[in-house]
Amino acid sequence: MKLLKPKKKNDPEYIAVSPAGKKYVIRNPFSEELRINGHKQDVKIFEDKEGFTFIEFKNKKYLAEITDKSQNKYTVLLNGLSYSFTIESPISYKRRKYLEKHKQTNKLEIISAPMPGKIAELLVEENTQVKEGEAILILEAMKMQNEIITQVSGKIQKIHVKAGDSVSKDEVLMEIER
Amino acid sequence: MKIKSLLIANRGEIAVRIHETAKRMNIKTIGIKTAKEPNALYLRLVDDVVDFSDSQDEIPEFLDIERIIEAAHQSKADAIHPGYGFLAENPYFARRCEEEKILFVGPSALAIFKMGNKTIAKQIAQRYNVPLLQGSQRTIKDSKEAEDIAEKIGYPVILKAAAGGGGRGMRIVEKASNMEKMFRMAANESEKAFNDSSLFIEKYVRNPRHIEFQIMGDRHGNYIHLGERECSIQRKHQKLIEESPSVALDEKLRIEMGEAAVRIAKAVYYHSVGTVEFLLDADKNFFFMEMNTRIQVEHPVTEAVSGIDLVEWQLRIAEGQQLTLKQEDIKLAGWAIECRINAEDVQAGFSPNLGIIEKVSFPKGKNIRVDTGITDYSVITPYFDSMVAKVIIHAENREKAISAANSALKKIWIRGIKTTVPFCLAVLNNKKFKDGDFNTSFIEKEMEKLYYNEEEDEMLAAYVAAFDFAAELETDRSAKPDFERGKNISPWVLNKRLKSL
Amino acid sequence: MDVKGRLYTRFLERTKAYAAQQSDAIIEKQHSKGKMTARERVDMLFDPGTFEEIDAFSMPGPAGGDFGKKVTAFGDGVITGYGRISGRLAFAYSQDFTVMGGSLGSVHASKIAKIQDMALKMGAPIIGLIDSGGARIQEGVASLAGYASIFNRNVTSSGVIPQISVIMGPAAGGAVYSPSITDFVFMTNKTSHMFVTGPNVVKEVLNEDVSFDDLGGAMVHMKKSGVAHFVYEDEENTIRGVQKLLSYLPSNNLENPPFFEYCDTDLRVDDRFREIIPDDPNKPYDIKEIINLIIDRNTFFEVATFFAQNLVIGFGRLRGKTIGIIANQPKVLAGTLDINSSVKGARFIRFCDSFNIPILTLEDVPGFLPGVDQEHNGIIRHGAKLLYAYADATVPKITVILRKSYGGAYCVMNSKNLGGDFNLAWPTAEIAVMGPEGAVSILYRKELLESDDPAKLKKELTARYRDEIANPYVADDKGYIDEVIDPAVTRKKLISAFEALENKHVSVPSRKHGNIPL
Repeated sequence: MKLLKPKKKNDPEYIAVSPAGKKYVIRNPFSEELRINGHKQDVKIFEDKEGFTFIEFKNKKYLAEITDKSQNKYTVLLNGLSYSFTIESPISYKRRKYLEKHKQTNKLEIISAPMPGKIAELLVEENTQVKEGEAILILEAMKMQNEIITQVSGKIQKIHVKAGDSVSKDEVLMEIER
Repeated sequence: MKIKSLLIANRGEIAVRIHETAKRMNIKTIGIKTAKEPNALYLRLVDDVVDFSDSQDEIPEFLDIERIIEAAHQSKADAIHPGYGFLAENPYFARRCEEEKILFVGPSALAIFKMGNKTIAKQIAQRYNVPLLQGSQRTIKDSKEAEDIAEKIGYPVILKAAAGGGGRGMRIVEKASNMEKMFRMAANESEKAFNDSSLFIEKYVRNPRHIEFQIMGDRHGNYIHLGERECSIQRKHQKLIEESPSVALDEKLRIEMGEAAVRIAKAVYYHSVGTVEFLLDADKNFFFMEMNTRIQVEHPVTEAVSGIDLVEWQLRIAEGQQLTLKQEDIKLAGWAIECRINAEDVQAGFSPNLGIIEKVSFPKGKNIRVDTGITDYSVITPYFDSMVAKVIIHAENREKAISAANSALKKIWIRGIKTTVPFCLAVLNNKKFKDGDFNTSFIEKEMEKLYYNEEEDEMLAAYVAAFDFAAELETDRSAKPDFERGKNISPWVLNKRLKSL
Repeated sequence: MDVKGRLYTRFLERTKAYAAQQSDAIIEKQHSKGKMTARERVDMLFDPGTFEEIDAFSMPGPAGGDFGKKVTAFGDGVITGYGRISGRLAFAYSQDFTVMGGSLGSVHASKIAKIQDMALKMGAPIIGLIDSGGARIQEGVASLAGYASIFNRNVTSSGVIPQISVIMGPAAGGAVYSPSITDFVFMTNKTSHMFVTGPNVVKEVLNEDVSFDDLGGAMVHMKKSGVAHFVYEDEENTIRGVQKLLSYLPSNNLENPPFFEYCDTDLRVDDRFREIIPDDPNKPYDIKEIINLIIDRNTFFEVATFFAQNLVIGFGRLRGKTIGIIANQPKVLAGTLDINSSVKGARFIRFCDSFNIPILTLEDVPGFLPGVDQEHNGIIRHGAKLLYAYADATVPKITVILRKSYGGAYCVMNSKNLGGDFNLAWPTAEIAVMGPEGAVSILYRKELLESDDPAKLKKELTARYRDEIANPYVADDKGYIDEVIDPAVTRKKLISAFEALENKHVSVPSRKHGNIPL
């Protein structure tokens, strides 16, 4: 006879969704019974006395750091690389799917400075049409010229800076109309 | 003259590196403190510090020639080591040191000047029979002249800004019909970038390797070379991984190139350590590019295979000592690889990653050398270049060196900033790199992904995020706020609070 | 009682009919829009099994005539009741969009009013979960009167019990005013909207095309209008946010805020304090890094994150006790005060003062934002609100001057003579009437004009100005600053200072109320 294990109703399930849409369903995050995408995994998370988080997996120790966290949006730095996720519950995951389907895309894309620096050169003017992946300005920081690249295609609606301006992190540089 | 105290006119890992050798040689070291990095590691190590932190000048501290000279006098330093970058290749600075009777740890001002000037350097190379890329000896007037030269030396050719570097004002011309347009573009760009529209033309070598030779010379006419360094792993002209020796060279070519490098050094009476850079094409023809008249960032790979402390010799030669090493004494053993660890975000187009380093730990081991200027709580500022450390591995052969580098890099922990470690790992794990089959276009052409990660890393990161989210929920749920205590108010307050309503 | 008898059977029938009103199809319809039902929301808000509903069987009030469709349903489109949140009594109402679009009729309104009255009598927080199409057209003026009765109670309860509004669907027309009177407004991104007149009216009257989201979406109210204090991506997190906010607040204005026993008791001395502020006074940094170092780990709960970002406000805990934090943000507009940030700060101070929450001010302000736009829109009037709120507050008030503190902005930001209890400064503080450049060009105008090398002279004078005037020691000597402290010990100093002020009380003259420059 097949034994069916009843699914406990309140057994919480956390779904980490990557920007590429990859899904990690995590159950029992605190116990030995940890399951990720249905597979039992032997991962331990612990903090050392200085408060740094480590994980242990397959006899290897990793330094992990949550570098950004706002509500259910997370960025985790592990082995020198950043991984972003939103953590969803089954209900909110469903909602997310629904909203993705009925997306009203924002018409204006705001380009802001990824780091503090000086505007070395503007590569576009207002009303220029740009394509995704195109460099739109050069930001100088740490003696390096960093190209700022647009992630969307569209028309440059407004430019808030000029060459020579010093900008702080997250300062709005341009607005692009999709 | 024996150097008793040395002013280190530099910062970061090279300041630490110079200090270490100086200390071993019983030389007192003096560091320069700036307001930009008042708590930097090198300042904790040096014996004495001159404080530039009140500097209100427009000139950055490490470029302020007169102030550095004054600081040397003030701190009674009898020599100045410029490190690399900043004033290391400034002939005027070397001359000012001579005038002020302070030893400049480096070659003569004249040697720096000659090698710093592209036209003169090329003329010297030609005179001493060092192969050069064909092209114009001086700047060209117009596209017509460029076409004539290109016709003679054959396409493809490259147009280069006479004043510049860093890829700006450069155009590759594949055929004559493109020349006029490309000439105009290159001239415009260099006018904009350097206020000077004059151009050179040169034969263009497709996908060359970048090979450089470490040379040494003294004031007594002795010159040797310490073999080559392979520096083809570059991104936007920034070297990222270097090795010594290079898989591209056999013994015959090594001798040939080494002798060419020494000829250049002799030609300018070069008395210090220096580097002669060559391009090596696919048919193993080499061409002189330029000479760097200073200690290089990547000098440790040469130190590893030769067993020679280059900074020590730099100081001894500056003191006027004889170079007692003969070319035949130089035995290069094993293979060394250097990985540069920069504070850059590989996932965001290598953009600088500033911040406070909360924790850093480097691997230790017999054949692992780590040169670094950072420690716990160091600050990565936007004012200086982004390199925070160099990890140098020395092993029997290339294969072992690559595998040791791989495991050493995986043991690096840095919290607070992102670094180029995942990039270095991606190179070390690349098949073509392992096979030694690469050139300066490697990063562009051979690397699909610019960083390396294990398959399960994303899953582990997802778990960390979910764990934290779940833990916070759990804390919020279980840590009941103590509401009763909020009601337990001292009569002093409560009476008055009630009365004031 | 005879459980088979008529009385009991009728009770059972009614209960069954009420349950049937929420058919699976109706629930599914709400879910398919990415929303939870009114019932699911209250169940989630309160500790499991503690919610008690009242007035479940009220029927809709009479319509004005036969106009429109006539619908009848138990509860009249709103669930009201009480329960426990983290073990503490709270009241709530939750509008049910699946019943007549959650529209507000007279019975719906009187149910809400009843729960408001109870919350006030009991001195317990009240939460409104709003998902309503607006006034019920069929009921006409009775429905409008209903709104007014709710507003009236909102105002009466203001400053007595915490009132929280959670917008989880539309809130249009009169419905927006209750949330705007309450202390905090939560919104769920993409599925909630607030506006006085909707996109259709805008189109009709002005012929402007605007989407629901662009007119009154959560992000618009979070970033531009400042109406929303918190925005979350989904309803579960929105409700968790409400629970989290409540954990910082007392039940009423007589109690003190709750205490967290398992808190961060570490009196750490942290060198990072010294590293965050750049030596160059014109370089920005993120004030939130400093806030997070001062307060207990992971306890910063920011309010209105994306509105007037030049002033950061929020709650935090110091050794388990709630404090309100107001801090200039040098990263945005160099931390200057403008109209929006003044109003944002002032309202937050009023809230903290009402509910006995001590206020910590972290100051790095170069002054008020200059400009025609600011002056013409009344920065004088609005800046005065911040000043009034600070001076009027009687809770413990501590200021730490981190860097700049110039001119009028110095006075406003809880200066000693405005009523600061403890005013501390870091050695990096610059306190003066104006910044060095301005001061030098006014005081040495003639000398600068006549000088052969004005740039050099200016540099010298600037250095002298910093040395002689714009530093914390002058103010310290005169008692305008109580102590200049080592940044590394900031947390420790603040913990002991707030503990010393725990029993602070100020008697104020009796009056009906002051006349705040609204």
